[in-house]
Amino acid sequence: MVAWGIGEFPQEVTSSPYFQPLKVVKVLQVKLCGAIKLGQDPAISANTLGSVTPRKPVLSVSARKIKDNAADWHNLILKWEALSDAGFATANNIANTKVSLLSKDRTELESSDGHAEKTHPEYSEELEELCEQLRATLDGLTKIQVKMEKLSSTTKGVCELENYHYGAEGGRPVLFHTWPTAHFYEVSRQLSDMYGKELRLKRAIAEELAHSTDHDLTLNYLSLWLHQPYVDGDSKLLLESMLLETGHRAL
Amino acid sequence: MTQGQPLLAVQEALKKCFPVVEEQQGLWQSTLRDCQPLLTSLSNLAEQLQAAQNLRFEDVPSLRSFPDLKERLRRKQLEAGDTVLDKLEESLATLLKVRDTVSSHVEQVLQIYEQHADTISIDAVLQASVVSPSVADMLEWLQDIERHYRSSYLKRKYLLSSIQWEDLANIQALPKAWDRISEDEHEDLVQDILLNVSFFLEE
Repeated sequence: MVAWGIGEFPQEVTSSPYFQPLKVVKVLQVKLCGAIKLGQDPAISANTLGSVTPRKPVLSVSARKIKDNAADWHNLILKWEALSDAGFATANNIANTKVSLLSKDRTELESSDGHAEKTHPEYSEELEELCEQLRATLDGLTKIQVKMEKLSSTTKGVCELENYHYGAEGGRPVLFHTWPTAHFYEVSRQLSDMYGKELRLKRAIAEELAHSTDHDLTLNYLSLWLHQPYVDGDSKLLLESMLLETGHRAL
Repeated sequence: MTQGQPLLAVQEALKKCFPVVEEQQGLWQSTLRDCQPLLTSLSNLAEQLQAAQNLRFEDVPSLRSFPDLKERLRRKQLEAGDTVLDKLEESLATLLKVRDTVSSHVEQVLQIYEQHADTISIDAVLQASVVSPSVADMLEWLQDIERHYRSSYLKRKYLLSSIQWEDLANIQALPKAWDRISEDEHEDLVQDILLNVSFFLEE
């Protein structure tokens, strides 16, 4: 019996309508990059432009990097959600296939009086294929998470560059509206950690799902995949405030 | 002439009222349809919550290494549930609006009838023709319609207000309970009445 009709899960809850792809304006910014004279200290230009940067076309190199990173964050999370949804559909299929295979094995066992040799209990090509599909999804998620880590480390790099220029004492420029540069790193770090943990959980689920014979356990695996318990509710707040701060979203 | 004029006024009022009912009925039906998948979602969530309660996460080797997984999952599931409940509340508000809109229009028709009741003969009120039901019938139908919306709305509101996350079995049974209200409340009633007056409205 294909039991719980999990296909009816409240999908709309996971895919928020405000996730529209942001255009990463790298091409344009490469041109702008040329406008800054070679050898000019990026920190100085950040200083002079500090308070009005978001509306000015010319951003300091650091600000530009941070702004690009913010857009990358948005797009990576968007991709993650799409892949996670696709993975859920696959996982759901695996669970249902597994249930029908188990019940088929049981009826075959009963009807054959236990004489016939069970060739491959619980094995089917269909199931194998679905598992392969889920593995591919997991690979995709892994790649996204690696990119997220990279974003964190480049943001850290920007902070270290700033530290190098300004030393331990204060007086650093604010790149956009109010956030000190270190705050971008904190947010990146938090987001990276969440998705890192979530990836680990999804990997565990992908490995175990097809082996589970317990209804409750299977349902829990699916629920865990869908609800992403390690991606906190305030991750959206973190992302959106980063987009606001960097001017991707209008104030 | 003096006899016909007041009757005409009531018939005019009826002719204005039924199209409003028809429009509101469309809104009512589509709102009820929108609720179905939401109730199924809630029912599914209740099943997931139940499954999580049945499972000792610490006994599952693959999940043991994940800190406060059960609590985190529960929080997320309840958040998802609240989102669905918010949407259901919106639907309920739409149903209430339909109820009130229909009520006020029906009331207006009845007021007009009462104003003229003394000057219209009983025969005229009861007289039906091939194309037109009697005024008495139509007035009664309007009251039936109004009563139907009132009672159906109340039952649905009561059902949704009974939702508590502690009572998962109740939530799992929601879609069926919702359908049962539709059956008990003869959701076809309004449609049938509108069919009966269709020629009268085209007159």
